[in-house]
Amino acid sequence: MSAIKALNPKAEVARAQAALAVNISAARGLQDVLKSNLGPKGTMKMLVSGAGDIKLTKDGNVLLHEMQIQHPTASLIAKVATAQDDITGDGTTSNVLIIGELLKQADLYVSEGLHPRIIAEGFEAAKEKALQVLEQVKVTKEMDRETLINVARTSLRTKVHVELADLLTEAVVDAVLSIRQPNEPIDLFMVEIMEMKHKTDSDTVLIRGLVLDHGARHPDMKKRVEDAYILTCNVSLEYEKTEVTSGFFYKSADEREKLVKAERKFIEERVKKIIELKKAVCGDSKGFVVINQKGIDPFSLDSLAKEGIVALRRAKRRNMERLTLACGGIAMNSVDDLTPECLGHAGLVFEHTLGEEKFTFIEQCSNPRSVTLLVKGPNKHTLTQIKDAVRDGLRAVKNAIEDGSVVSGGGAFEVAVADALIKHKPNVKGRAQLGVQAFADALLIIPKVLAQNSGYDPQETLVKLQTEYKESGQLVGVNLSTGEPMVAAEVGVWDNYNVKKQLLHSCTVIASNILLVDEIMRAGMSSLKG
Amino acid sequence: MAAHVPVAPGYLQMLKQGSRYYSGLEEVVHRNIEACKQLSLCLRTSYGPNGLNKLVINHLDKIFVTGDASCILRELVVEHPAAKMLVMATQAQEQEIGDGTSFVLILAGSLLENAEELLKLGLSISEITEGYKVASNKALDLLEDLSCLSLKDIRDVTEVAAATRPSLASKQYGYEDFLATLVAKSCVSTIPKSGEFSAESVRICKIIGASVEDSVMLEGMVFKRETEGTVNYVQDAKVAVYNCAFDSTKPETKGTVLLKSAGEFMDFRKGEEALMESHVRDIAEAGVNVVVVGAKIGDLALHYADKYKLMVVKMTSRNDLQRLCKALGATPLLSLIPPTEDELGSCSKVYLQEVGDTQVVVFKQNQECPMSTILLRGSTDRLLDNIEEAVNDAVSTYNTLIRDPRLVPGAGATEMQLAVKIADFSQSVPGLEQYAIHAYSKSLQSITQALAENSGTQTNPVMSKLYSLHQQGESSAGVSADGEGTDLIDASEAGILDPLLSKHWGIKLASEAAITVLGVDQIIIAKKSGGPKPRGENPNWDVPHDAIDN
Repeated sequence: MSAIKALNPKAEVARAQAALAVNISAARGLQDVLKSNLGPKGTMKMLVSGAGDIKLTKDGNVLLHEMQIQHPTASLIAKVATAQDDITGDGTTSNVLIIGELLKQADLYVSEGLHPRIIAEGFEAAKEKALQVLEQVKVTKEMDRETLINVARTSLRTKVHVELADLLTEAVVDAVLSIRQPNEPIDLFMVEIMEMKHKTDSDTVLIRGLVLDHGARHPDMKKRVEDAYILTCNVSLEYEKTEVTSGFFYKSADEREKLVKAERKFIEERVKKIIELKKAVCGDSKGFVVINQKGIDPFSLDSLAKEGIVALRRAKRRNMERLTLACGGIAMNSVDDLTPECLGHAGLVFEHTLGEEKFTFIEQCSNPRSVTLLVKGPNKHTLTQIKDAVRDGLRAVKNAIEDGSVVSGGGAFEVAVADALIKHKPNVKGRAQLGVQAFADALLIIPKVLAQNSGYDPQETLVKLQTEYKESGQLVGVNLSTGEPMVAAEVGVWDNYNVKKQLLHSCTVIASNILLVDEIMRAGMSSLKG
Repeated sequence: MAAHVPVAPGYLQMLKQGSRYYSGLEEVVHRNIEACKQLSLCLRTSYGPNGLNKLVINHLDKIFVTGDASCILRELVVEHPAAKMLVMATQAQEQEIGDGTSFVLILAGSLLENAEELLKLGLSISEITEGYKVASNKALDLLEDLSCLSLKDIRDVTEVAAATRPSLASKQYGYEDFLATLVAKSCVSTIPKSGEFSAESVRICKIIGASVEDSVMLEGMVFKRETEGTVNYVQDAKVAVYNCAFDSTKPETKGTVLLKSAGEFMDFRKGEEALMESHVRDIAEAGVNVVVVGAKIGDLALHYADKYKLMVVKMTSRNDLQRLCKALGATPLLSLIPPTEDELGSCSKVYLQEVGDTQVVVFKQNQECPMSTILLRGSTDRLLDNIEEAVNDAVSTYNTLIRDPRLVPGAGATEMQLAVKIADFSQSVPGLEQYAIHAYSKSLQSITQALAENSGTQTNPVMSKLYSLHQQGESSAGVSADGEGTDLIDASEAGILDPLLSKHWGIKLASEAAITVLGVDQIIIAKKSGGPKPRGENPNWDVPHDAIDN
């Protein structure tokens, strides 16, 4: 009976060996779940939420979010892994795998009587070395379109099937390239991701402009406008009640009629100003589109429609920002100082109706600094799958541009680090060497699982890789269609530098932490619900 | 349940209580396949003209007797996640084409069934999915060459009727000729010169009574309503459409009438009446004789409308109002002002008619009109619902044909032809994929087989005969639905043709769904979220409530 039991009979406790066993088994359990997801040949998981919605995913991050993990150790690991995603946008699955493997290797030595603290020291030493190796093997080069496509492809192929991945790759890279501004950080929010339940996943496209998920609310407004001025504004074009309580007294029906007219006058003035501007700038051929963040009431819509103006009301705030970036112009907060300079321009504006839903496309903008990725798919789970993938793809491209360097993928980096660590081992003093050894072995889980998921023998592939690496000295990864070694750089399999860096940091820290736990306790009353 | 310090191993312990987790071939793939198989088996008997109907009772205790796959699936509320994927594929087909939902389901079901066989033989999932992918691409390529006819003139009633006939025949066998002409006439009449067709423009109005053959089609619109005032027949109508209350205008701000004496009150009333009368008079003087209102109608306004011999019709649905505007060429007005010449709609005849014991308001156009209505008659609600579904499918078929006028032989001929060609193709493919490709060909045959089974023919001899015919190049030989004389017919000669696009999407969606279901190797199901359980899960639904001891 442990001391805590004497203090609080309701406390639960697991000590020493038992605590370690609990932690390690949790880490390995999680590893087992995510193992089959790694790499382009990984399989899908089907998640059914509490409400019965279906989600299909290969993305480790999505999976960890949706799994509702309750085991304390497992959720600790899951949090680290999702933090990896928050920071870099990729590498969640690798993260869980490496943590699991680090603990598994450590377990071997601990069961032989080695103190966990010494292994943790070894891990620390190994991490320092691994980071040095990372600096040596990273390839710094100019991030031209081709390199970026390679990076994006490597990331996307692990998330969706090959044909779709190749399609998304181009879209994602072009999207980031068009919103990139020299000497400014890339703001990925400027790439709008819009979904449309329509056709198939391979119809996903990049629109150089904006897609809004609502349409004009007047039946007579044109469904298609070419060569159009865009007025972005945040002006209420509907009757608004006074803030103080007010009322009118009237004596006859005539007076009431007048009152009704006077009420509207205020709004009509505003509408008139917009119409005047339209008349001033548009000849016969040019179109005019008003996109308003606030409301436009039926009467105002009607007068605008009569002048051939297309008006959209209640646009989303974030779209207002994007609109001015995509088409140019300034977002107006009042109609008092409208000038032609406030207007943006788009080559084509049209409405697309899909059952009940309406979409407005604003396309052919000259030099758009905000673009839209229009995700299409026949059902909801396809759409979410693509959306998650696209988000990761965008992050991968952004990371590559910001890092200015990339690292060989396909398990090549891990093989190289493991080899360097083995060589480095004699320089470490004492039993910590064993920790370094464990670290080196743990990293090899990545190429092993990659091979396993593609149906090859993990050990055999690994040995081939190591031999090839020793002989050629080049960074070799697994070729997943043959199971043979390949030079990752030649095939264009590139991973993000900061993903690997983050991976090394967070895995080591969390694995050491878990290793150093010798008592798990849950003191106090169990919650009233339980 | 609070988090306790857990015992060592076991994956499930990591999850919230109540979650379920399945993984591996045995637990996931085979079970998924089983569920999908059951679902497609259930609908297989409803396929084709001789398919049987299902009696479905939904969670609201509403009864459906139908053979339409999309309707059955909608009311069935499938819960199994894998089966749900198939249902989603059929929904996608419904959205893209509007017809051919059972085709998707049967093909996907059969693909999975055959995949199960292959798995038992020891093929890996990736080999099967790879083979299916190759085969479905090949099938889509081959399909392009199979078109035997195309709809040349989308305005030719007989041609359109012939093209929509098979779609109707598969749902309402026996009425197909009559309904096809009806559908063709109404579709063709709504096509404007620009040639853009919208399935929205063909409206259906169901009225119980008489028989299906008494259904008629008219240019214009029909509403199940009565007129508001006393006028109920207008020839050469000029219609003003108001999307606001047909009443005295009210300000947004609250108003109070300030009166000091009874005399003022009298004056106020008089002023009110005079104003209303002037409004209505202005409208009448603008040449209007029918007023359509999309909101409230005031008593006073109605009184004056009667006085000036205006017919007043109220619309309850905003969409109906917009469609009516389209049909009449009118612009809806937002305040009670007389319409200008171009805001005014025109209609040849507006009248109140009693059909069966239902009052309907008919807006009939003698000239070309962008809207048409099919007035369906039938003896029961159920029958009317079924015919409506069938007519809707036929209209979608027409819509599909406008996008792509090519037609392929129906009656299972196209599937058989594809099956034969893909079977040949499978021989030329090296590697284990060839088994999967061959399985794909078998699945295509299962569609034809379902037709043959449902027609009550001796399936095996018919299938083998068909197969050999197709091998000899008779690419349009199909299964006869008559059940008399021969079991086989030449589909293109008999005029049984399906739109190519419908098959194209069907094959694509079914293959995708099957591949997705196969690609799943783990299922994690979260605990059901709270809230009251929906009704309909009662397994003893056919036993009275008090007979079950809770």
